[in-house]
Amino acid sequence: MKALDLKLMRDLWRMRGQALAIAVVLAAATATFVLSMGVHASLTETRDVYYARNNFADVFGSMTRAPRSVVPRIAEIPGVRRAEGSIQQYATLDFPGRVVPVRALINSIDEHGHDQLNKLTLRDGRLPRLGEAGEVVVDEAFANTNQLGPGDELDALIYGSKQRLKIVGVGLAPNFIYSIAPGVLVPDDSRFGIFWMGEKALEAATDRTEAINALSLTLDRGASQADVILAVDAILEPYGGTGAYGREDHLSHAFLDNELMQLEAMTQVIPPVFLLVSTFLVYIVLGRMIRKERTQIGLIKAFGYSNWAIGWHYLKFALAIALLATALGAAGGIWMGQAMTALYAEYYRFPFLYYHTSPGVFLAAAALSTGAAALGAMGGTQQAVRLNPAVAMSPPPPPIYRAGMIERLGQWAGFTAIGHMIVRHIARWPGRSAITVLGVALSAGLLFSTMQFLDSSRSMLDSFFYRAQRQDLTVSFTEARNSDVLYELSQMPGVLRVEPTRAIGVKISHGNKVERTSIQSTPADATLTARIDADGSEIELPPSGLMLSRQLADKLAVRPGDQVFVELLGGRRTQTFQPVVSIVEEFIGEQAYAGEETLEAIARDASPVGSAQLLIDPAQRDRILTELKEMPLVLGVTERDAAMQKFEEVIDENIFTMLFFYISFASAIAVGVVYNSARILFSERAHELATLRVLGYHRSEVGIVLLGELALLVVAAAPVGCIIGYWMAQLMTAMFSSDLFRLPFAPTRATYGYSVLIVLAAAMATAFLVALRVLRLDMVRVLKARE
Amino acid sequence: MTSPSENPAGAAGLPAFSGSGLTKIYRTGETEVHALRGVELKIPAGEVLVLLGPSGSGKSTLLNIIGGLDRPTDGKLYYEDTELTALDEDDLTRFRRANVGFIFQFYNLIPSLTAEENVRLVTDIAEDPMGAADALALVGLAERCDHYPAQLSGGEQQRVAVARAVAKRPGVLLCDEPTGALDSATGVRVLETLAQANRELGTTVIIITHNAGIAAMAHRVFHFLDGQIARVESNANPIDPSEITW
Repeated sequence: MKALDLKLMRDLWRMRGQALAIAVVLAAATATFVLSMGVHASLTETRDVYYARNNFADVFGSMTRAPRSVVPRIAEIPGVRRAEGSIQQYATLDFPGRVVPVRALINSIDEHGHDQLNKLTLRDGRLPRLGEAGEVVVDEAFANTNQLGPGDELDALIYGSKQRLKIVGVGLAPNFIYSIAPGVLVPDDSRFGIFWMGEKALEAATDRTEAINALSLTLDRGASQADVILAVDAILEPYGGTGAYGREDHLSHAFLDNELMQLEAMTQVIPPVFLLVSTFLVYIVLGRMIRKERTQIGLIKAFGYSNWAIGWHYLKFALAIALLATALGAAGGIWMGQAMTALYAEYYRFPFLYYHTSPGVFLAAAALSTGAAALGAMGGTQQAVRLNPAVAMSPPPPPIYRAGMIERLGQWAGFTAIGHMIVRHIARWPGRSAITVLGVALSAGLLFSTMQFLDSSRSMLDSFFYRAQRQDLTVSFTEARNSDVLYELSQMPGVLRVEPTRAIGVKISHGNKVERTSIQSTPADATLTARIDADGSEIELPPSGLMLSRQLADKLAVRPGDQVFVELLGGRRTQTFQPVVSIVEEFIGEQAYAGEETLEAIARDASPVGSAQLLIDPAQRDRILTELKEMPLVLGVTERDAAMQKFEEVIDENIFTMLFFYISFASAIAVGVVYNSARILFSERAHELATLRVLGYHRSEVGIVLLGELALLVVAAAPVGCIIGYWMAQLMTAMFSSDLFRLPFAPTRATYGYSVLIVLAAAMATAFLVALRVLRLDMVRVLKARE
Repeated sequence: MTSPSENPAGAAGLPAFSGSGLTKIYRTGETEVHALRGVELKIPAGEVLVLLGPSGSGKSTLLNIIGGLDRPTDGKLYYEDTELTALDEDDLTRFRRANVGFIFQFYNLIPSLTAEENVRLVTDIAEDPMGAADALALVGLAERCDHYPAQLSGGEQQRVAVARAVAKRPGVLLCDEPTGALDSATGVRVLETLAQANRELGTTVIIITHNAGIAAMAHRVFHFLDGQIARVESNANPIDPSEITW
């Protein structure tokens, strides 16, 4: 090994603490990068393979009822490769001894296995046989959660009549990678499952002989989805078609897409913070190292080493750190990636889902860390390269201090000599002081912006469940009913209040922008549901015209006062212009609201009741639920408390893992920054600290010089951190928002407090650790040497 | 300036320091360096003492032990009635704070503090110090009190160091090559200030030097050789620093 490389190795070993501290910060960048890129790639590739292998459809449609003969007509539309019709029917399941409402979405399946689209993958058992009524395949997650398997039987209420279902198989399909019951936010496998039943059997059970209510199609490569949708809608119009839509509006696909988008956002926001801090750290550490080795550099140059060799020597120091960081980060990233993939596998049902990364991801991660380290090394190496050997070998000029503005402040505040030492040192090295402040602030900011997602989820929970929903139960009906059903429900003992909810499917357009959505309505005197604005206030339905959720308004680019074109999907297919009266800042979904009269005007009939909200006497809950299960007209029952609990469970399940990662990551930055600043500070001031000890200052008093400066910088970082955090959090909530839901920006003061406190604690503990070196300060040796 | 007094007030003949069997062994790896080999000493209070001897003869080691910066491997050392060798780290710090003023070859001023603030470092923690401005006036630097070390010449910096050392009215001033980095004229100024402190404050002054000429201003000279005091020389008529030839 060359002598210069030997020096490099020993320097790295001597400065192992500082090098490791930088490597950890840099590794955090690599780890989050490898983690999110890897998980993203794993999910995308698994999804794409699954979609391709099981022929996930490109366009979907639903209608009230259409003869099977429309399918060949649709298949003839130019651009359509294949079309398949099916029946989808919600059913209520009756588990003996369980009062909670359990719902299933039953899909028809060709008994001969001729289905080509959204193909079922059997995990166990077999497909239903022709002529065997009641045979079903159930989805794997539902089967596992409810401990069901081939051979088990259960009762179901399908389309108003009771039927005994026999489970013959367990499977999964690409159109149900993510499945949630209508009206809830997170999957609950104990209350909702996907079933597949033989086509003939489901036709018989739902009175749809040779009829369908759902459609799936794949498109030829290069075909225009929009044109196909137009053509499909035209064909389905007479059959109560509610508008065909592409994958982007398909629930399962959209949720998965949303997740992928969040992973991408994570890759874009978090690693850059770590990279930035690492660059700063390399900059200050190498800068100090080169200042300290000035004489050596002069000597080495005097021996005849070229400037380039010196520059390369110091650059290698930074690159060695980057290399270590890449290795650490890759290992950490893979480990976390596996954990995260396992978590995804709980919510997203793939036949297989393994975490894997391509060499490209590691190469990109390595390039990022070496790039960041090299950038940080630039300043220092340049300084080393430019150093004239003759000048370098003479001692450096003493640092110049000047009385500045802080000075006057100091005099006014009556600083002691130690106080002056602290503030003047900060002012003497403004760049490095700023880096320390910024580094700690970024750490607090990152912690805040990640921790506030918990507030965000809670605020969403609060606004969606507590404020907007006051009912205990939501009862949906097999088909839209008239108001008699409300009376029937209100007569049940224990039902305290019943309110209808009406909803109609519409297409709303403004200019060239078109959105499929629904217009919902509640009676003017409704008390069980409310539209809640971002600030928590309740917004009344407009007496005429529409109220749009912010998400929908943004997509249509409308403001209150604009007119939109509303086409009713199904029914009388009316087309009207409606004014947008108000906009409500909602977090979930994108819908329109209107008063009952407006709704009736659009629907041109006394719009039917789609579902009912019930307020009940809690003591009668079990009895009411049992009774509802028996009612043929009831399609499904959603319990608000259960949905809310499930949502909370999901937050709580992940909260500790998340907090652990967030806090470790943020602390890594704080520790890395403060450790390096403290070590540099200590090395620069060792001589002065020893002098103070000689003059009779106690170790604790001398420690104050060190800790005081760091404390000032760290405390200054607190407000900066809050500002950075506020800004980053806004950016991240915006980036994490999608068509499905927007995240509210609703940090609590406690989150600001915790972020700052955690980071301050990590920072000061680190500073204290370095300050312990004062104990080992060798006064005699330090004073012998000339600084 | 007159010569240092023969009989400084309040300290006549009593030992400031007395030590016996003082031994210091430095161990580096497998080698042992005997820096002090059983030194016996008595340093009368109020005197000017010069330690002479070649490099590595043990002068600095002794000075550091006397100043409470280092401990002997063996032996006992008293300052007045206090056994320094029995004190712990904190007590030694307290001892330095109360009694010792240090002056080094390379000044060791804090570069971020002005001359006056460097002196205040000591007056802030001393029990009965003189004013920082008075201490600077004593060394003739009253009008340069707002200057930072980088703005002062070497001689001026050393005089600030002297002012810092005497400002607490220390019982003893320990000077390790105080003129080593100075030209003769500046060196004489520094020595005059030391003599003045001895005379006016009764401070015991111990000076390490390679410059045999300085010995002429001392009441007593210890000649060091191989970790021992080879010879003690008394001087009934110390001369004024201005008469020292370099």
